[in-house]
Amino acid sequence: MADQNAAAPETAAPDVSGLTKAQIKRMKRFDNPWRNPKLIWGVGLLLSIVALGILGRIFWDTEMVFTGSGLPRQAPVGIENMRGQMGSWAHPLGTDVTGKDILALLIVGAPNSLYVGVLASLIGMSIGIFLGFSAGFIGGRVDDVIRVGSDVMITIPPLLILVVFQAAYGDISLTIMAMLIACFVWQSPTRLIRAQVLSMRESGYVQMARLSGASTGHIMFREMLPNLVPYLFGSFIANVTTSIVTAVGLEVLGLGPQRVPTLGRVIYDAINSGALIQNLWWWWGIPTILLAVMFIGLLLINLGLDEVSNPRLRRL
Amino acid sequence: MTILDFKNVSIDFPTSKGVVHAVTDISLSVPEGRRIGFIGESGSGKTTTALAAMRMLAKPGFVSQGEIHLNSLGKTDILNLTDEEMRRVRLRKISYIPQGAMNSLNPVMRIENQIWDGIIAHEGAVTDVELKRRSDVALNGVGLDPEIVGPLYPHELSGGMKQRVCIAIGVCLDPDLIIADEPTSALDVITQRHVMQTLRDVQAKIGAGLILIGHDMGLMAQSVDDIAVLKKGELVEFGPVRQIIETPQHPYTQELISSVPLVGGESFLDPAPATPAEGFKTEDGTPLLELRNVTKRYGSVTALHPMSFTLDGEVPKIISIVGQSGSGKSTMGSLMLGFNAPTEGEVLFKGRDINRQSPDEALTFRKEVQAVFQDPYACFNPFYRVNHTLKFPFERFGLSKGADHTTEAMEEACRAVGLAPETVLGRYPHQLSGGQRQRLIVARALMLSPKLLIADEPVSMVDASLRATILKNIHDLKDRHGISIIYITHDLATAYHVSDYVMVLYKGHVVEAGPPHDVIGDPQHTYTQLLISSIPWPDLDRDWGSPDDARSALEGLSELEGQQEAILRGTIPGFKLA
Repeated sequence: MADQNAAAPETAAPDVSGLTKAQIKRMKRFDNPWRNPKLIWGVGLLLSIVALGILGRIFWDTEMVFTGSGLPRQAPVGIENMRGQMGSWAHPLGTDVTGKDILALLIVGAPNSLYVGVLASLIGMSIGIFLGFSAGFIGGRVDDVIRVGSDVMITIPPLLILVVFQAAYGDISLTIMAMLIACFVWQSPTRLIRAQVLSMRESGYVQMARLSGASTGHIMFREMLPNLVPYLFGSFIANVTTSIVTAVGLEVLGLGPQRVPTLGRVIYDAINSGALIQNLWWWWGIPTILLAVMFIGLLLINLGLDEVSNPRLRRL
Repeated sequence: MTILDFKNVSIDFPTSKGVVHAVTDISLSVPEGRRIGFIGESGSGKTTTALAAMRMLAKPGFVSQGEIHLNSLGKTDILNLTDEEMRRVRLRKISYIPQGAMNSLNPVMRIENQIWDGIIAHEGAVTDVELKRRSDVALNGVGLDPEIVGPLYPHELSGGMKQRVCIAIGVCLDPDLIIADEPTSALDVITQRHVMQTLRDVQAKIGAGLILIGHDMGLMAQSVDDIAVLKKGELVEFGPVRQIIETPQHPYTQELISSVPLVGGESFLDPAPATPAEGFKTEDGTPLLELRNVTKRYGSVTALHPMSFTLDGEVPKIISIVGQSGSGKSTMGSLMLGFNAPTEGEVLFKGRDINRQSPDEALTFRKEVQAVFQDPYACFNPFYRVNHTLKFPFERFGLSKGADHTTEAMEEACRAVGLAPETVLGRYPHQLSGGQRQRLIVARALMLSPKLLIADEPVSMVDASLRATILKNIHDLKDRHGISIIYITHDLATAYHVSDYVMVLYKGHVVEAGPPHDVIGDPQHTYTQLLISSIPWPDLDRDWGSPDDARSALEGLSELEGQQEAILRGTIPGFKLA
C-alpha cells in the first residue's frame, strides 16, 4: 500500500554547496521571514520614541513643560543663542520663548502624537474589519450600502470636516481627537477586506470548512481572518501614518488639544511666536526631526511587512 | 540537419533554500521538420529547458553551463546574443505557443492586429495590404476564416479558436522551431484533437521543428516523432516514439506509460474483497439520495435540465458523471452538497430536502455527505498545519473521544490511504506535494465515514503517476468502508474502471447512461462516440485519425444541439435514472 512516490519531492532538491558563508547566512535570514531588516529597523525607530517617553518620565522632570521652567530662548547644549548665552545641561535641547524645556515637551509630546495615531488607526481598523466582513460575507443590500458609504466617504477631505468641527468645539482631549480622525480612516480597510473576503469566500479551504459544518463565525474568524493578517497589518500601519499626519496638521493650525503638549502643538507655538525669524531653530526643528523618525519608522515597517507577506519581493 | 542543439545544458535557480538544479546536463538535438515531445511531471524541468532556448527563463533562473545553438545563426551560442539580437530571434526563428491562450492574447486588440504586431516588430514598415494578406494566410493555415475571425476580439472566440490564433501568430513568420507548451491542457478532448491536428498540419507545411511539452503520454504518442522523458531535471530516456512506447527502458518511463488507464485495458484497481463492506440501509427503503426533477438555471442559461434519479446505499457503488466543461456536471456536484439550491425540483437525502433543514439536521447531513474537490492546493488553509483540516470536522461532528483518539484516528486514516503519518501530519500545506494533499483529503473523508462522497474531478490536478493510486484510495472507500460515491470527471478511461454506472452529460442533459462496459466500451450516442474517438491513446496502432476527421467531429458536435434524447443502456440494482 505504501508508496515511496508520495513522499518524494517533485522538484530536484536545493543544493547549498559552493556558496560562501556570507551567502548562506543571508539565506538563513529567509527561513524566518519576520527577521526582515526593514521591519526590525522600523520597529526599532518606533520603539525608540516610546522609550523616549518612558525613560524621559523616569530620568527627566516632565514638570518643565510649563511656562517659566527656565530662562527663555536657551539654545541646546554647547550652542550660543542670539543673546550670546551658551546652552547648558539644565536644558539640553534648549527652551522656548516662555522658558518651557524642549526636552520635556518632546518627552510628553512625542508619545502623545503616536498615541493619537495608533488609537485612531485601531478604531478605524475595527470598524473596517467589521464592515468589510459584513459586506463581503452577507452581500446583497448590506454590501451595497457599505460599499457606497465607504466610496462616498473616501471622497470627503478629512481635514476640511475636522477643521470645521474643532473650530466649533474648541479644546478637546487627545482621545476625542483620535476618535474624530478614526471617522476618516475606516474606508480603505473596509474596501480591502471586502475584496479579500469576496475572493476567499470561494476558495477551497472555505468550501472545506463549510463541508465540515463550520459556523459562519468560525469561517470568518478562524479560517479567513488569519490569512488576512498581513493585509491588516499593512493597512494598520498605513492608517497610523495618515492619522498622525492629520493630527499634526490640525495641531499646527492651532486646533486640537490646547493644554496637552503634542509635537504639532510645539511646532504651532514656535511658528506663532516667530521662532523662524528669531532663529530659534531647535524649537521647531527638533520636533520635526522626531516626526520624520516616526514616519520613516512606519514606512520601514510597512515595506518590511510587504516583504513578509509577499515572498516575491524578497531578494537575495 | 539539425535546427537546435542543446549541449550539456544545466539550469540553476538560486532560491532562499539554496540552489535548485532545475535541469542537469541535458544534450539534445531537434532535427529539421521533426516533432520532439518533452514529457515529465510538474517540476521535471521540461518547460524550463525549452524556455532556455528562447532565453525566457523566469528569474532568478539562469543557464549555469552548456551551450544552445540555433543552426541558422551559424556558430553563435544563443546564450551569448545581445538582447536586441535575441529579440530578433524570438518569433522569427523560434516561436512559442503558450499554455493558456485565454491569457496570452491581448483582450483589447483585434485578432488581426495581434498578428500584425509580430510582423511589424520584425520587418519594420509593411504596407497595410501586405499585412492583411499575411494575416489572412496565417489564419487560413489554422483553419479559421480570416474574414470572420480577423476583426474579432479574443473574448468573442472559443478556447479552441483562441489556441489556434496563438498557433497562427506563432507560425506567421515561418520560424525554424516552434515550442508549444502544453497547448491543449485547457481544452476538452474533442477540441484538443482538432487543435493538435492543426498544429501538426502547419508545422509540416512550413517544415519547422516542433518541441511539444506535455505530461500526457497518450497525446505525445499521437502527436510527436521522438520523445524525451525528463525526471527531476534529468533526461532519462530519449528515442523515437515507437521505441519509447513499446519498449521503454527506464523504469520511470514504464511507470508513465502504465499510469495511463485504457478503456478496455487492464484494471489498475485491487480486486474487490470477497465480502464487500455493508452499506447504508433504511427499514422502509427510502433511498439514500434522490433528485426530483432538479433543474438549475443561472439567469437565462440552463446549466442542468430536469434530472431525476434515486440512489440507495444498500450496496455501496460508484456512479460516474462524465462530461466536458460546461456540461453541468460540477453544478450537479454542488447541488448534491447543498452549496447551491436548485431552481426547480428538490434534492432529498434520506428522504429529506437538504435545502430545508434545521441547523441540527444540517450538521448531520454534513457529516454524512462529504466531498473531495478538484484542487488539492486550495483545500488547505495555508495558515494552519494540515492537521487542522482533518481534526476540525472530526471534533465538530462529535466523533472524537479526546485528543489522543483524534490523533490515533488521523494516523490510521493516513495509513489507510498509503501515507506515512509522520511524514505528513504536523506539516504546513505548502510543504506537501499535490498528490499528498489530495490523499489527505481522501483520508479526511475516510475519518468521517460518510454515507456518500462526492468526488469532483479528484485527480485532474494531480500528476499522472499518482492518479491511479488516488483513485485506488477512493475505490477502497467503497469496497472497504461502504461509502457510496458520486465520481464527477471528464476522463472516460478512469470512469470506465472505477464506476458501476456511468452518466454522460452534455449541455445539462444526460445523453447516455448505463454500466461502463456498455456506455464507454460500446458507445451508441453520437456525443459519447465522439468523446471516445477523440481520446489520444498511448498506442501507435490506434490512430487518432486525420485532421478532416477532427474537423468533421467538431461539426458533428454542433449538429447535436437539437437531439437530446437520452440513450439508456441497462440498469444496475439500487440506482434508477428516471
